Amino acid sequence: MTAMRVDAKVVMLGKESVGKTSLVERYVHHRFLVGPYQNTIGAAFVAKSINVGDKVITLGIWDTAGSERYEAMSRIYYRGARAAIVCYDLTDNSSFQRARFWVKELQTFEEHCKIYLCGTKNDLVEGDRSARQVDFHDVQDFVEEIGAQHIETSSKTGNNVDALFMKVAEDFSNSAFELLPEEKGVNLDPKKNSYLYTCCHH
Amino acid sequence: MAADVHSKGVTWDTPNGNLAPVEHLPNSRSESPTPGLVEGTEPGAGQERAMFVHTQSFEDLTADVELTGSRPSETEEVEEKEQQREGEGGGGADTVDEPRQDVQAIVREKEEDVTSETWRSHKKHVFVLSEAGKPIYTRYGSEEALSTTMGVMMALVSFVEADKNVILSIHADGFRVVFLRKSPLVLVCVSRSGQSDGELWRELHYVYYQILSLLTLPQLQRVFQQRQSFDLRRLLAGSERVTAGLLRLLETDAGLMLNATMSLPLCSTTRNIVCTSLQAASSKNLVFSILLAGNRLVALIRKKEQHLHHTDLHLLSNLASSSSSFRQGEGWTPVCLPKFNASGFFHAHISYLEPSSDLCLMLVSTDREDFFNLSDCKQRFLERLKKRNAYQALKEALHSPTYPVSQVGIPELWHFVYKSKSSGLYTSPELPVPYRTEEEQERLMELYQYLHSRLHHPTRPLRSIYRCTNTENLLAWSTSGFELYLCFSPLATKALAMSAVTKLLKWIRKEEDRLFILNSLTY
Repeated sequence: MTAMRVDAKVVMLGKESVGKTSLVERYVHHRFLVGPYQNTIGAAFVAKSINVGDKVITLGIWDTAGSERYEAMSRIYYRGARAAIVCYDLTDNSSFQRARFWVKELQTFEEHCKIYLCGTKNDLVEGDRSARQVDFHDVQDFVEEIGAQHIETSSKTGNNVDALFMKVAEDFSNSAFELLPEEKGVNLDPKKNSYLYTCCHH
Repeated sequence: MAADVHSKGVTWDTPNGNLAPVEHLPNSRSESPTPGLVEGTEPGAGQERAMFVHTQSFEDLTADVELTGSRPSETEEVEEKEQQREGEGGGGADTVDEPRQDVQAIVREKEEDVTSETWRSHKKHVFVLSEAGKPIYTRYGSEEALSTTMGVMMALVSFVEADKNVILSIHADGFRVVFLRKSPLVLVCVSRSGQSDGELWRELHYVYYQILSLLTLPQLQRVFQQRQSFDLRRLLAGSERVTAGLLRLLETDAGLMLNATMSLPLCSTTRNIVCTSLQAASSKNLVFSILLAGNRLVALIRKKEQHLHHTDLHLLSNLASSSSSFRQGEGWTPVCLPKFNASGFFHAHISYLEPSSDLCLMLVSTDREDFFNLSDCKQRFLERLKKRNAYQALKEALHSPTYPVSQVGIPELWHFVYKSKSSGLYTSPELPVPYRTEEEQERLMELYQYLHSRLHHPTRPLRSIYRCTNTENLLAWSTSGFELYLCFSPLATKALAMSAVTKLLKWIRKEEDRLFILNSLTY
């Protein structure tokens, strides 16, 4: 197969319009598109290489659509993912409830997937504290309870975006990479992927 | 949580063995050996089998709608409306459909006050509601604000149905209210354009198929079986742009009217390389490989014995153009092709050959795990294209996606639309100066639609029609092989128009290699 090699599958999850696509756009293309909201249809895949120490890790990022219509499909997007970036909008409390749903879903079906809770649109709450609807410490408590990571980003200013993906890549590098010396790179076929996990972790 | 709605046995995959319902296969080619041009020999006819499902025209779309008796005063009615429109023509401030700002327009349209005069004065409203009378979609304004209006619509439908009858349309005060009943949905169009009921039904069918393409028919039926008062907007969230784009396309693209597709003019050597490269980049579960430049077809490769329907192709092309997300990476989405098989999802890999390019590749597979296979297909296609030096030629062809009508060499001819029935492709030159503005473009489309509805009248179809207006003379002609719509300067005569047809057909024959896709390749 001549397709690109992907080391770690990363999936973006979260309610619609929280800014998953903007986050990927900022990280991959270093830009923030001002303009009307555009829905993602289905999911979009993009691969990006990142240097961690002396290693190069290719993240295969799946940016999924937030719409409920695709919910039943979402399993094929997060199956075999090494990391899930679950996004919520800092100015929208309902989006955090949705994030909780995704966390539960991941805990049930993908126990080996690391979870990163990402509060988006940080720039909006920095200018105006009253705009914040999701309390930092509440999320922090939740995150500790589930053993996940927590970060607040702004795709508009770029604040923390690179740090988030760097963290994802480092964590991946520190854990699974060493565990799979023979099998550098995750097999691209998701079916075999899940098989691979079961044989490596048990 | 809200996840329960489609957890039960949704058919995400189309069983490989049963890709198309049998009746959708092109089994009945028109057999009329009328004098003139016989189907299959007209300019632009494919050399082998057609790549599309054979459709006559919009009868096919509306076959399940019973069209009732004739309307004797139709001609005068349309003339009259035309004058009305000319009267108000100068103002033209009634619509907000600026294609370039369409997105803002959609946002604005959604916020529009439904009691305002601007809301009332829109030329064409489209509503979708459930059988419980719950709003699902409105083209302008917000659905919530229209729940009473939609309740009235449902009451009208039920009232007539109580007498074991079906409401088709209401004509009053220059408006046409057209109803389409597709259980569990009701679609309503309120129009004051001059379009016939048949044309409006066709547009409502498109909206219906658009909804099916997102959900599939079984899923749509299931959610309403489980709960009659289900709010379908939950499942359709985020598709407003797609639907708005489709409605816009219906007003501007002759292909949706003709059930045909326009191909990108391309020299035959380049086209052959593109087609064979695409053919070679195959994969086990691939059903269709479609290369589009905007809404123009560059190449279409299909699985043996499987035919794509125009409606499905238009839906796919509209889907790709209505979200910029496909430009940012490789898209992977379930999509139902409702005319092909309304009961299951295909999985489409949608991507642009380059982020800034107009060339969009859609690979349609039956396997939802096929993403990386198809991504690989795309790479192989691109490599081969570059290796054979066709990519540059293809990119250059994009600079001239159309041609001026002057190439034909008939000074009085302003514009034409020619559809080859057997290949399902059509060709049309760029719009000349008088029709460059949006209103004029729409007006010309409406004139063509009027001619089209006369040629395809369910009870009194015409073979040809010549029509003079103050601003142009029009001729439409339908044979078993082609359908032709011509627009002449108002100074042209009927005799000139007739001789122009012969000349035009000769020209199209000469150019058919470039204007049409003559080979229909399979994997």
